[in-house]
Amino acid sequence: MAMARADFFTGIALILLSLYVIIESWRMPRLEHLKVHPLSVPGVVTAFVGMVLLLFGIILVIRSIRRGGHRLKINHEGFRRLFNHSGNQRLLLTAILTMGYSIFLIGTLPYWLATGLFILVFILLFEWERGLNGVQRRRGLISAVLIAILSSAAITLVFERLFLVSLP
Amino acid sequence: MTVLIDNLARFLSAIAGFITPLAIFHIAWSTLLGIIIGALPGLTATMGIALITTLTYKLSADLAILVLICVYVGAIYGGSRTAILINIPGTPANAATTLDGFPLAMQGLAGRAMGVATSGSVLGSFIGMFFLATIAPILGNYALKFQSYEFFWLAIFGIVISGHLTALEDPIKGWIAGFLGLLVAMVGQEGIHAYERFTYGTTELLGGFALIPAMVGAFGFAEVLTVMQNPPAKMADAPRDSVFPKILDVLRYWRTIIRSGLIGTLIGIIPGVGEDIGAWVSYAAARRKSKEKEKFGKGSIEGLMAAETGNNSVVPGAIIPALTLAIPGSAPAAVLLAAMFIHGLRPGPLIMVESPQFVYQVVAMVFFATLAILIYGVGLSKLLLKVLAIPKTRLMPVVFVLCAIGSYAITSRLFDIYVMIGFGVVGYILRQMKYPMAPLVLGIILGDLMDKNLRRGLVLTDGDLTPFFTRPICLVLWLITFSSIILSIDPLRHALQKAFHKVWSGSRRLFSYR
Repeated sequence: MAMARADFFTGIALILLSLYVIIESWRMPRLEHLKVHPLSVPGVVTAFVGMVLLLFGIILVIRSIRRGGHRLKINHEGFRRLFNHSGNQRLLLTAILTMGYSIFLIGTLPYWLATGLFILVFILLFEWERGLNGVQRRRGLISAVLIAILSSAAITLVFERLFLVSLP
Repeated sequence: MTVLIDNLARFLSAIAGFITPLAIFHIAWSTLLGIIIGALPGLTATMGIALITTLTYKLSADLAILVLICVYVGAIYGGSRTAILINIPGTPANAATTLDGFPLAMQGLAGRAMGVATSGSVLGSFIGMFFLATIAPILGNYALKFQSYEFFWLAIFGIVISGHLTALEDPIKGWIAGFLGLLVAMVGQEGIHAYERFTYGTTELLGGFALIPAMVGAFGFAEVLTVMQNPPAKMADAPRDSVFPKILDVLRYWRTIIRSGLIGTLIGIIPGVGEDIGAWVSYAAARRKSKEKEKFGKGSIEGLMAAETGNNSVVPGAIIPALTLAIPGSAPAAVLLAAMFIHGLRPGPLIMVESPQFVYQVVAMVFFATLAILIYGVGLSKLLLKVLAIPKTRLMPVVFVLCAIGSYAITSRLFDIYVMIGFGVVGYILRQMKYPMAPLVLGIILGDLMDKNLRRGLVLTDGDLTPFFTRPICLVLWLITFSSIILSIDPLRHALQKAFHKVWSGSRRLFSYR
């Protein structure tokens, strides 16, 4: 049932995407002034791919409606369950950390610092558990700092010195 | 006969070419790294090759490809350890291995199971390697006859068959993934009139989406997200019995080994259908033919042997079309193909004309990688257990850092990191909804081929579609393509079955006396 509902959404998204592709293909230049063969113009293949995707999108939607996938149940309870699921929380945290690192940190901070910070924060946030005593906390912190420093230094050195990449 | 001796001489000279301290050093570290990558759940062969490609930019072309093939063979083998010890396939290719490997480990036979996996993987690789050496030159010469019409159908055939076989329960999702891949490939300057499609003035998109960042995203970042979402796995005990492969296991199941090797190689040759399918099909075939069917799923040596022979024989099989047609046989082979282009090699129909020696060099690379997994397979089990004990909360941030810098390193553009992120997020979502990734990747690679050849073919025939359907190879390709589609539509299949049944019973009545 969940899949039928997901297929309904994907089907609609696919139809919109393929319509967009078909319209764009139509708008692509025909290069008449160059006297090129009308079947070699840039839009031919994109239109073909767009039409195939349109067909697939329609099939997905029809199939999903037959299984009742268009009856959407959006309510607070569903959302709460989604966010309370521990796997989804870990997923969200991973997504925020990784994207924050690659979109905001890289390029603003020096590469080694950004990378070290990212690894440190990642390990600390995921390994932080309630009920750990002071010694365990300190041990976790020290090993996280060590991993962060070592991996950041190793990756920076290898790419900068060995592969001669000018790091961001 | 002279051709055979010629080819053997080329193979031997390629072997000799790699017996240098430098090459052996590269074989040693890259195969070990491959095994570790394969053994770690969440690090797949595709991701491993994509990441290691970024480490090979400064190597010479033949050493770079040697390293990547060692990683490839090592990863597919390494995943068997995880499958046996913790019931989680280290790479998708080892999913069938869990069925009998883990029950064997539970019976205290983890060592024997690993030995079987080692012998299966080694023999499977050798069988595939034999066909790589014999089929690739023939296919290469044959492919010289291919024209635009054939290449167009080859691209469509690849996507449809790959889409079908990687999403057996719901083939339409495989096809959608494949055509989305084609669409991605359309972005950027097209190859005939140099018009910029879907770029909207951004210079970064002129060359289209770079393949390595896209792959690192779809296979690396998406995998990081999945691994972090899943609950942590339980650790396994160290094996108590010997991990040394037993010659008796090999002798007893030689039929299964040869059958699985053949199946794996064939599956490898089919575009975009990779090691996982090879293992499943070999496993199913072994069970069908087995005298001990009841043992399957409960710790069958034969089942384990079939799965591990099947997946490793796909590796050389998948390289065959990559070398001779520039069409990858599996997702890791797709990255390998991309790496070949990056290193200035030109795989494709001309390979046997331009550089026949390279084909045999690749055969020799597979040979050395296989020898290396045999040595590591026997000598290395404690280290792998230690590696498996690394918590994912410490491994995944480092893996992600490598995904980011690996995407960036090719052209030093931050844009490629964003491409990686984009493909990772989309790849994750698609995978959650059961869309396979292999056809998507195949589509990205084949997009250009299909685009140029369809338009070129149409210009050559002045818009006449007939040659696309009547040329002999085209005929075979489109017939298989369309029947694959028609047979997966339920109402149509039932109608066909009914019609077939009627004709069959009618003809039987015709020939019987009563």
